[in-house]
Amino acid sequence: MNQQETALWWARVRADGPQRVEPGGPVPPGMLRLVEPDAAGVWLLPALPDSAGPAVLDELGLQGHVLEHPNDTARVLAACLRCCWTEPTGPLWPGAVAGWAQVASVFTAITSRDEVVSHRALLAAVRRLDRSGWLLWDEGTRTIRLGPRAAAWNPAQVSALRELWRSMPAPDLSAAQIPEDLSQ
Amino acid sequence: MTEPVDATLDQLTAEPAVLRLYRQVFAVLAREAGAMILDPGLVDIDEAILEAFAEAGSDGLTAAEAAAACRRFDPREVERRFGLLRDYKAISKVVDRPNEQHYRAAFAPYVMLLFLRRLAERGGQSELHQLLTLEQQNASNPDAVAADGKASISRLTKVFRLLANELASMVQRGAAEALRENAQLLWGNRSLIAQAEDVHAVVLDRWPGLGPDCASLRIALAAYADAIEAAAGRLIEQAGTTRALGFLPAETWISFARGCRPEDLAAVLDPFVFDAPAPWFSPQALSEAVESGQTTGVTRFRPPRPDGSQEPAETDLGPADDSADLRATAERLLGSHTRVSMADLLDEASDWPTCRRLLAEVTAIHHHPELEFELIWGDGLRIDPRSCPSWVSQGWFRRSVRAGTGER
Repeated sequence: MNQQETALWWARVRADGPQRVEPGGPVPPGMLRLVEPDAAGVWLLPALPDSAGPAVLDELGLQGHVLEHPNDTARVLAACLRCCWTEPTGPLWPGAVAGWAQVASVFTAITSRDEVVSHRALLAAVRRLDRSGWLLWDEGTRTIRLGPRAAAWNPAQVSALRELWRSMPAPDLSAAQIPEDLSQ
Repeated sequence: MTEPVDATLDQLTAEPAVLRLYRQVFAVLAREAGAMILDPGLVDIDEAILEAFAEAGSDGLTAAEAAAACRRFDPREVERRFGLLRDYKAISKVVDRPNEQHYRAAFAPYVMLLFLRRLAERGGQSELHQLLTLEQQNASNPDAVAADGKASISRLTKVFRLLANELASMVQRGAAEALRENAQLLWGNRSLIAQAEDVHAVVLDRWPGLGPDCASLRIALAAYADAIEAAAGRLIEQAGTTRALGFLPAETWISFARGCRPEDLAAVLDPFVFDAPAPWFSPQALSEAVESGQTTGVTRFRPPRPDGSQEPAETDLGPADDSADLRATAERLLGSHTRVSMADLLDEASDWPTCRRLLAEVTAIHHHPELEFELIWGDGLRIDPRSCPSWVSQGWFRRSVRAGTGER
């Protein structure tokens, strides 16, 4: 892969987020190669050094990406992390597939608010996170997986997340399917 | 000829331009001013008539046959144009006798039409190029004499002077729009000048005696080049303030936007890169959000605020005032007297809380700006260990002097 193609891939990632490509292709320099669990695809994720990552924005006091409802979104991501990261001793990617009801049960447990309100916030946050590549949300089967961006956390951050994982309530694996009319 | 229904503004503005060119071209032949065609569509009819004659062969056509061949046009218009072409001898009788019905067409008008069409489409640039090529061929022809060279040079000088003058006067005095409409005078001019210089070089080479004529051609060429520079500068200057959108009429942009594919429109944004939505969640942020989830889970509503939509009642506007109560109290305390001693008043009260309230009321009455009662303390002191306030300063509660009833 020559310099021009590398630049092109970085531009694509910048403009379009993590890229899903066919397995077996070349990997541009500086990118992580995340294989899907069924090996049907490969995600290309830029692996930025810590001194150039998004966390630098905080250190410099600069405004990062503006997110709607940042706290709810963070809570939903934490809930998905609790459900999809079945082996907290191992890596985050690829994680397991979690059903909507499991995530909803964790989210309800950590927020304790009215079910309909909570459900709406959950759906909005899941869609937001899906757009930005933090989650992979299959709206048809109502299942959630961790997105490729979750692999961008460095080991120190992953250990902090592990603490968070332990402190959070376990998903209700027997949770019944949420009635359809609440999903709107 | 009926107006096309879907004529866009572009076409409507293009028609006067074509007409103007026709007028300019035929101005040298016009018998009188104002007799030129008013609709470029008429030229189409002429062309159709001439085409019909071309089809007809050597026998020619009658007027009715020609009209029938031009059915797609308004018959009255066709008849009128036919008459006009006949008047100008573009169409003439096959045999010149009174009852001859068949006509034949001359070829020259059609050639002229072809030339016109080319001129209208391409602005005459290529004709000028061909003219220059012809002039060069004439000049380099071995049989040519100095007179030919002189004539050639003088023709070119005139052409370029006219071009330069038209352009320069538009730059100096005309509106920028006029300049834009005639922008074809600006295009491809470098090669025109180069070709003219070739002719000039050939002529000067062969007949050095034509130096003065060649000098005037050089001057005309330089004037043309200057006029082009000035015109281009003016157009660019104007485009600078309009972000170059003014180079085309607004309707042209709208037509483009209507007719083009999404890809063409999107091509404008090709050089831009839009960042994908990439929020970042640090583990600390996640932990904080989860921790705060429990406490802030209950939605708390703001207390209602006055929205200012309705004016508060008039009585609410003033400060709370108990002047009526105070006045009643004062009247009760004074009774029919003009003044009473504070010691007497306090004696009537049974215990200290009542005394205290009484003192507070009396003080409030004294300080109230609208009540004409006052409390005066003197130097005397009454001491009685058995009564509830064991000592009382000498004080008087009375109607104030301001009320006009004062006894002073």
